[in-house]
Parts: sequence; structure tokens; C-alpha cells
Amino acid sequence: MGCGAGNFAAKGRDQVIGTGVCCERCPGATVAVTSTIARRRLYKAAVFSPPPPSAGRGWVAHGGSATPAHLYRVVTGQIVDVSPQVLVLGDASGERRFVLTPDATAWRGGPLTPSALRPGDDVVLRLRPGSPGIADRAWANIGRVSGTILRQDDDALVVSAGATWAKAATSPQRVVVIPPHASGRIQVRFPNLRPGYLIDVIGVQRGGVLQGLIPATSQPPYRSDRVPVPQSASGRLPESITGAAIWHDSADEPHGVLGVRYPALDPSNGCAEDRAAGFPPGHAPAYRDLPYLAVGSSLLVANECTGASWTFPITGCAPVARLFNDRCLTCGTSPRGRVADLTLASFVALGGELETGCFNTTLTIGR
Amino acid sequence: MTPPPSLLTDFGDVQVPLLAAMLLGGCASKALRVVRGQSISAVLGPTVLFPVRLRQSVAVGLCIAELAFGVGLIATAGRSLGGASAELIRFGTGLLFVVATCALIELRSVRPDIGCGCFGEFSSAPITGGIVARSAGLAFAALAIVKLPPMQLPGTVNRAALVLLLLAAELAALAALSPELREVLVRIGYSEPCEYRVLGPELAVAAIQRSAQWRKHASLVVDGQPTDTWRELCWRYVVFPSRHRGRSADLVFAVYLRNRRPAVLAVLVDSATGAVLPWPSDAAAKGRRRARGPRARIASPARTHRGRRARPTPPRTYQPEGLSHFLARSRVLARVRHRGA
Repeated sequence: MGCGAGNFAAKGRDQVIGTGVCCERCPGATVAVTSTIARRRLYKAAVFSPPPPSAGRGWVAHGGSATPAHLYRVVTGQIVDVSPQVLVLGDASGERRFVLTPDATAWRGGPLTPSALRPGDDVVLRLRPGSPGIADRAWANIGRVSGTILRQDDDALVVSAGATWAKAATSPQRVVVIPPHASGRIQVRFPNLRPGYLIDVIGVQRGGVLQGLIPATSQPPYRSDRVPVPQSASGRLPESITGAAIWHDSADEPHGVLGVRYPALDPSNGCAEDRAAGFPPGHAPAYRDLPYLAVGSSLLVANECTGASWTFPITGCAPVARLFNDRCLTCGTSPRGRVADLTLASFVALGGELETGCFNTTLTIGR
Repeated sequence: MTPPPSLLTDFGDVQVPLLAAMLLGGCASKALRVVRGQSISAVLGPTVLFPVRLRQSVAVGLCIAELAFGVGLIATAGRSLGGASAELIRFGTGLLFVVATCALIELRSVRPDIGCGCFGEFSSAPITGGIVARSAGLAFAALAIVKLPPMQLPGTVNRAALVLLLLAAELAALAALSPELREVLVRIGYSEPCEYRVLGPELAVAAIQRSAQWRKHASLVVDGQPTDTWRELCWRYVVFPSRHRGRSADLVFAVYLRNRRPAVLAVLVDSATGAVLPWPSDAAAKGRRRARGPRARIASPARTHRGRRARPTPPRTYQPEGLSHFLARSRVLARVRHRGA
């Protein structure tokens, strides 16, 4: 069965086995998830407010497919040429020129001026709201590795970016090298660099290796296979959910995709990692005080630090984010841990600084 | 010679059991984690101020100190073990709370994201000023009663009432400063809303197949296997492949995840264009023949299984459900299992 549709089997009349909508581990998941999101939104709208039959509606995903004028936009590509005023990005489709504002800043392992960027750098360029050709921020070769340490080979850490670290063959692996000058900074926040413990670092991508420079959070004291049992929820569902929003660096997703991964997908057809790890539905480590949603549900994500907000579709589960029980300290202390795992473009669009790793957020469901 | 009772001695008499209760409660909540097989140091709190290799030892030492001072306060409260030993225990208790207050202030500035761990997993909320004030107040209370004479029962009703009043006032102050109280209340009044429940798709499919919507439109389903199912808050959606005038269509059901009379809505959607399709007249006619009277009329794509116009709870409206729904759900599960067997 393919991804996103046709993956539900019924046995007999009453026994139904839901194998679910596949998450980010399926080949070509992006196309499948996009189709799933569009269809589910349309079905939901049709059920609750059926339009006149003559109206006719197409398979168009609303919200999250375009960036509004008041939000930042993101362009990614490889630098072809750079000067203090102009930055030229190139890809297979050609070259694009962007004007840099006088106060534009850049980052490549640390803050620098945009003119210090080099041709060949892979850059994430933030465009000013409403000004598609003017950039005010650039991150060069930035990457992030968040997951469970599988093993330590000399000075390199092999990290699993899924919940199934014990069955590493089923989860993608990332390699992190911590240079000597960043070792102290990293180890203050991540004292246990032994297999089984969690790590979350931001740094510079060189080839297939991430040079870890900045700890994105503090290391939980527990191993990733011994996540404390979360508290159960009770009472009424709050109107909004507060917590921390982070970004992820996924090779499976093209840059520029707007979406959010959510830690509490419906267990019966949610997270591919849970099934691969052998968790029965509802027994995987996850927030029990977050309501269950699905791929395609809409989340209004607000950045409490900047005030920007936008509705994003849920594109998958957040298998690693839910293992952390940390707090974001970007602008005050978030009242709880990671409730939204944004794509890089979504994070920047809401005004997040990639090198800080997180911002305090408020989620509202179903707008 | 025992001094005559005064307001100060009454105040002191209240402090001893309160301090002992706080210490023993803190120790018990930490020990509870060990009983449950969890790490005692995972509660964090001030132990994170120490190197990793020392955290376990510090956590155990703190728990032992709380136990020793808690028991010591009770044991030395009377006349038999009073005197110097009582003063030593009370001074030690005060010192413990002074150190704890300083540690909490330091922890709040260094790691504002973690809880104090004072009462184990109940103290996971970030440290607030109230927690620091509570610790400082307890330190003051312990040091204020170092020279207190041995406790004695109230001799008069008025004095007993005064002691009870002081105790109630102090308990209220502690409750106001303690975020742990909220956690305890949440656990006592535990009830799981449907948004948080793990409910598999089989329950939804069973509800659909019992509904009038299914009886009306089952003839449109060309394959009994749903092509998609997902759940959003309290609603589960199930999509069956269908045909409409020779074209491919999708029959979409939405079920509210409730045990008694769940609302079931249905709509027919064109697979290619996504347009909402009118119900075929023959299917509507069949539905009218099967159901009687106006309850089975089909005038709108979205109707409940009871035939009345659907008034579903909107997806943004949340209805917590109580014990009766749990019991009802158990009965539904039993019926489903029985039928499946």
C-alpha cells in the first residue's frame, strides 16, 4: 500500500486494523502527505459545512501553502556571488539576486557580516515581509541534529533521529563532530555523551557531518528509552496550548515547506517510529496532556516572542521532540516542553532565530 | 519549670508538626519514585547544581536528612527527649531550609526551566517566587522555635481553638505558596476527556455500521475497506470508496467519539474534483423505505444516524466526559468484543 491513502485494512465486520498514514519515513512522503492534508481538510469541511452541490471545490490546500505578507519568507540555495549589498543565489533553475539591507546580519557558526559569506555556502535567506527581493538575515550551512546517541566513534557521535534508536536499522542516522573549541560549551549542557542519551545541537553542516557548535537545550537526565511517564490530562481541554516550538533539519523535506510536526498524533495511525519500535497504540512516550490530532489537522502557531502567528498543517509526528522534557528560555521560560516541531521555513517565517533553536509558542487547534 | 502558655508557645506548637509533615512528605514523595523504579535524582531540583556523578548521592542524602529531621522533630517534641537534643534537631531543620532556600534561588537563576523537586514528581513546575518564599518561611519557623519548651496539649477550649486557627492559617498560606497542590488536585479529580483518550478506529467503524447513515448509504460503498481514517480531537473520520453516476467518489463518515448515541455524519464527495455530491435518489428512496417517517428524510448531506438534522458539536467545542461515559464505553467494548467473537 502506498503512503497517505489506501493503508487501512478491515478484517471482517468489526475488527479493523489501522496501519495509518505514514509519516516522514516513507519515500516520497512529502507528496503523499500534501495530498492527504488537502483531502482531509476538504472532507472535514464537507462534513461540517457542506457547500451547495453546484459550488464545486478542488483539491486545494488552504493555509500553510503560502506565506502571508506580514511574515518573513525564506529562500534557500547556494551562494554564487556575494557583496556587501547584493547576494546571488543559484540552483538548477537559475540565479536569483537579493538586495541586502544595511543592517543585514549573517551566521556561519557565529555572527558575521554578509560579505564574509563565501560562494558555495548553502544559505537560508530571510526576506523582509512584503519585500520579496530584500533580505535581512542569512544563515550559512546551518544544521541541527536532535536525537539519541547511538555510538561514539573517536570524536564523532552517531545520532539516531528517531525514537527507534535500539533498532537503528530503521531510523536515519546523523553524524556529529564536536570541535575542541566547542567541546566545553556542549558538555556543560550535555554531560552524558554516551549511547542512549539525548543530544540536540546546532552547528555548521560540512558534507554529511554536522559540526556541533551550540547546545540547543539542556540534556535530560534520563535515557531516551526511559522517558518518564507523563502526567495524564484531566478536566477541560484548554483553548490554547503553551509550550516550546523548535525547528528540525530534515533531509526528507525540501526547504521552504511550511508545516509543523506534532508530538501527539492519534496513536492508532500516527507515528511510524512507534510501530517500528513495537509500542502498542497509546504506549509510546508522548505527552498525555496534548489532545490527539492527525496529519492534516491545522494548528495556529503563535510566536510569543515576536507576536507573529500563522496556521500550519500538521505534516507528521515529532518522534524526537516528545522525548525531551525541556523548557525554552528564549523570551521567558516556556511553561512546558516541545509542543511543536516546525519546518525550517515555518520557524523563520514566525520570526524565530535558527541558532537559538526554539521560541515560546501558543498553539490553537483547528482554526 | 514550664513557662505559662502564650501566643508564642502556641505558634511554636503548630510549627513542629507542620515542619515534620513537610519533611516527611518530601522524603516520601522522593522515595515513591524509587519504589516505582524511577531514578531518585531524575526529579532534579537542587541536585542539578552538583556534578553528574554526585547527583544520586546528593539526592539520597537529602532524602535521608529530611527523614531524620522529620522523625527527630516528632520524637523531641515532648518532654522525654526535649532539651538540647530538641534544640539541635530544630536548629538543623532550620539550617536545612536555609540551605534549601539559597539553593532554590541559585537554581532559579541557573536553570529556570526545571522544578524544585521538593515533593518529587509533584514539584516539576518551574520554581516560582512562592516556592522560595515557602522555603524561607519554613526556615524562619524552624529557627524561631529552637528555644521552644516541650509541646503540651491545650489546657482550655479557647487555647485549642487558637491553636487550630493558627494551624489553619498556616496551612492556607502554605497551600497558596505551593504549586504542588494543584497537581494533587488534578490527580484526585482525574477524568480523561475524549480528546486525550486512546480510541481505536474499530469503535468508530462499529458505531458507523450501527447507524442509520450506514443503513441508508451502504449500497454506495464499493469496498468495505476504508481508504483513509484519521482522528482529530473527539471526531474520527472514515472514508470508503464509492461510485456516483459512473464516477469515482468517496463516502466520508464522521463519528463523534462518544459511547452513547454517537453522532454520525456522512457526505459524498467526488474523488476527482472534491465537489460535494447530492445523494443518489435511489439510495435516498431506499433509506426512506427502511426508516419510517420524517426521521429518515434526506435533505442534507450531513445528518445524524437518528435522522434529525445533524447538530454536531463543532470540532472546537470540548466536552469532558465523566464516569458514566467510561462505564458506557465499557459496555460498548464488551458488545464489540462479543460480536467479534
